[in-house]
Amino acid sequence: MASIADFANAPAPTYHMVRPPKTGLMDWLTTVDHKKIGILYGLSGLFYLLVGGLEALLFRIQLAVPDNDFLSGEQFNGLVTMHATTMVFLAVMPIIAAISNYFVPLMIGARDVAFPRMNAFSFWTFLFGSLLLNSSFLFGGAPNAGWFGYAPLTGSQYSGSGIDFWWTGLAMLAISSMVAGVNFIVTILNMRAPGMTLMRVPVLAWMILVIQFLLAFSFPPITVGLILLGFDRTFGTVFYQVSMGGDPQLWQHLFWLFGHPEVYVLILPSMGIVSEILPVFTRRPLFGHHAVIFSGIAIGFMGFGVWGHHMFTVGMGPIADAAFASTTAIVGIPTGVKIFNWLGTLWGGKITFPTAMLFAVSFIPMFTIGGLSGVMHSSPPIDLQQHNSYFVVAHFHYVLVGGALQGLFAGVYFYLPKITGKLLDETLGKIHFWVFLAGMNLTFFPQHFLGNHGMPRRIYTYPADAGWNLYNMLGTIGVVLMSLATLVMVYNVIVSWKKGKAAGNDPWDASTLEWMTTSPPPPHNFDFTPVVLSERPLWDHKRTPGFEIQMPEASESIHMPSYSWRPLMVASCILMIMVGLLTHLWPLCIVAALGIVAGVYLWVTEPA
Amino acid sequence: MHTDAAPPRPRPSLAPWLIACLSLLGTFALSACDQPTRDVNQPVADSAEISAWFYHLVLVVDACILAIVVTILIVAIVRFRKKPGDEELPPQHFGNMKMEVAWTVIPTLIVIGITVPTLGGIFELAKKPDLNQKIVEVEVTGKQWWWEFDYTKEKLNTANELHVEVGTQVVLNMTSADVIHSWWVPRIGGKRDANPGRRYPFYFRPFEVGTFDGQCAELCGASHALMGTSVIVHPRTGPDSYEAWVKREQQEARKPTTPQQEAGQKVFMQKGCVACHTIRGVSELAVGARSRTSGPNLTHVGGRSTIAARTLATTAQNIAKWVKNPQAIKQGALMTNLGLTDEEASALGEYLASLK
Repeated sequence: MASIADFANAPAPTYHMVRPPKTGLMDWLTTVDHKKIGILYGLSGLFYLLVGGLEALLFRIQLAVPDNDFLSGEQFNGLVTMHATTMVFLAVMPIIAAISNYFVPLMIGARDVAFPRMNAFSFWTFLFGSLLLNSSFLFGGAPNAGWFGYAPLTGSQYSGSGIDFWWTGLAMLAISSMVAGVNFIVTILNMRAPGMTLMRVPVLAWMILVIQFLLAFSFPPITVGLILLGFDRTFGTVFYQVSMGGDPQLWQHLFWLFGHPEVYVLILPSMGIVSEILPVFTRRPLFGHHAVIFSGIAIGFMGFGVWGHHMFTVGMGPIADAAFASTTAIVGIPTGVKIFNWLGTLWGGKITFPTAMLFAVSFIPMFTIGGLSGVMHSSPPIDLQQHNSYFVVAHFHYVLVGGALQGLFAGVYFYLPKITGKLLDETLGKIHFWVFLAGMNLTFFPQHFLGNHGMPRRIYTYPADAGWNLYNMLGTIGVVLMSLATLVMVYNVIVSWKKGKAAGNDPWDASTLEWMTTSPPPPHNFDFTPVVLSERPLWDHKRTPGFEIQMPEASESIHMPSYSWRPLMVASCILMIMVGLLTHLWPLCIVAALGIVAGVYLWVTEPA
Repeated sequence: MHTDAAPPRPRPSLAPWLIACLSLLGTFALSACDQPTRDVNQPVADSAEISAWFYHLVLVVDACILAIVVTILIVAIVRFRKKPGDEELPPQHFGNMKMEVAWTVIPTLIVIGITVPTLGGIFELAKKPDLNQKIVEVEVTGKQWWWEFDYTKEKLNTANELHVEVGTQVVLNMTSADVIHSWWVPRIGGKRDANPGRRYPFYFRPFEVGTFDGQCAELCGASHALMGTSVIVHPRTGPDSYEAWVKREQQEARKPTTPQQEAGQKVFMQKGCVACHTIRGVSELAVGARSRTSGPNLTHVGGRSTIAARTLATTAQNIAKWVKNPQAIKQGALMTNLGLTDEEASALGEYLASLK
């Protein structure tokens, strides 16, 4: 039988680049290597995961007991706004970007993404945007109008400068995401190894392809909304000001036209991760591989047609409510298809339970709970009660923590060994899993009851006689458990990175291409470009006669993209424009705009 | 190859599941300590009843689906664990078209089964009531951070406490004077947004007498949490009937009866309160007949059970505390700190509390 050890005998390639690579810090600032950019995204995401968690811990302390005065209303609003904004845009999305960056080229047998410098530009724009957003804590207070920032509360009449940091920061994150979306669409469609037809693309890469379309098409509406908001706040326009003929509901439509696809951006990659992990630890192929892919496409597509279900209480009228109720209910169908295919994968397998698999398996019931409460919200008569109550808080935390975050944790335990070359510690991993699962359910399950008992979300205090005391106390205890569990994971990552057990190329006996190269992979990823013969190329290479991956006779000569300062330069100029808008320093904006023109000119004329 | 021989009894660790189940049970047991007063599933009006009916419909469907998923999952986990030393591969099934069709079609039928009645519910909730019957129609305006209730036909204006009659159709016309608010009294019905620049109706018919609490459900600024409201459903007859309340409320404010109350009225008239607040029969002397509505109408403020939108109980001491420094109680409150002395504040408190 063939084995992946054979690949060590492949003829070593030679590679050439226009400029020799930099070293040390300069290397990280100028790198265009998708793996290094992936690591940068991953570290930022992990950092912001802790920041977002700390914000949650603070407001959960406030909510632990009734009539508490640990935080003021203003501080509380700032923390809930930043918790959501941070978790969505600065933690979960960057961790997804880390996995996309590091693994998509490896999974499809490519050397890098289609546009390596654009990739670096996406990262720096994201990083500067996130720093700008968080610098609001230092200058006049955090944004405090909620993560969906409803107009007219975000208007300068009602909100302080935090909102300026919010819209400029988010606008930068939007630029970053749209650029990344285009980059990865082109990469996955055009850079696949020979023989890798679309139906042979791994499910995770497929789900990442779907979300890139969501990013590319859903971020424009919110960018428009943010720019209108910026004009209102900076130049005194009145797009959202009723008294001057504006319309606050314009914002709600623009926001949710982005906001709902965004939810699928957060969950689909985790569904992809689960679809990769379950087959590996059941030792079988993914049940209904094509159905899982097509249902993912269907979910992404439907994501654009359901935004109105966030607005049933607004008064859109029964016709619009009926339309959005129906489209929303339809999303349940492809979601159910996925769940049953995962169960079909488990059924009849020979299952082992390393930490990655524990998270992947627990994803199924936790996500199902969140999905089923989502079915409730699709029905306006029910949603009128549950909207903006703790029931909804419970719902989306089951989807985003029980679903998206658990999926990403599974991904960390499964994929990190490829990045570091070291296995994570399984005992610490299992402590992380069980404590996190307990904390999550302790926090979020009782919140269904809180919502049914009439507790609205985003209230900084509540009376002792409303009957909400116990569940809030449990919620705070649960958040403490989740925080401890996450710290265990961080410790595990650091310790195992330093002195974990060596992983080898293929620690899980997996079936996709990323496991045929070394851990960590060389800068050029693969010594030779593999020809793909099936949807499980590595599995079949190891086990199916006639499907061995053939090594070339002669060594390949590989063109590697060279380092570049241009992405960092253009991203810095965008940051300068935003700072100019914040401080009303118009000359700075003009200089920065010229800088962007110059940077892009130098970029396109730079030999790569 | 795969054999169908019964696998030896696996011994999975059940401890985590046991702990999970026990803690869930414990939670239910402990929850008996909290008496929920705003349970959406104890409706007192037709609107909440429709919501609760659909909730229970979908709850049953959801519970069945969850039970099926979790049962399959647990059986699979227990039954299909890899036994130590068993290195043989399981059968490599790539899928099954019939099953794919089944778990596409069955959820589709379930979705249709839920959605079709839901559409009926949507139109039921939006159905315009017969305007020839007796209705209570109220203009509701959300303001940072209190609720104005204007009974146009009855020519009365009150705040935070909505009075209606049992069995009589209610029409609330929701709007806002500043940012978006959302009026939510869970036992009456689902929430409705109060949008600036728009006026949307909310229909309900209460069927139980009593006082039912709720609060704003759309983040509306620093003191969003302190924007409470209540619905008081009056009986049709008797001294506590809705008609009797309307009559009382239509009267002008009581005259002060003690020297302190008189001093309080003087404070009200002279310290600028009249710029925002109306006391019918009193404030006209200072600012004319047009009532001021940027602050709550105080004509019968002593008759309301709370002040500052369910933030404090209505007592002379609490009113005095409030007028001394509103921002200390409600961050960002628009009410001006008038710099009243302790004597002025407590006189004003005595006076306002007397306005039953």
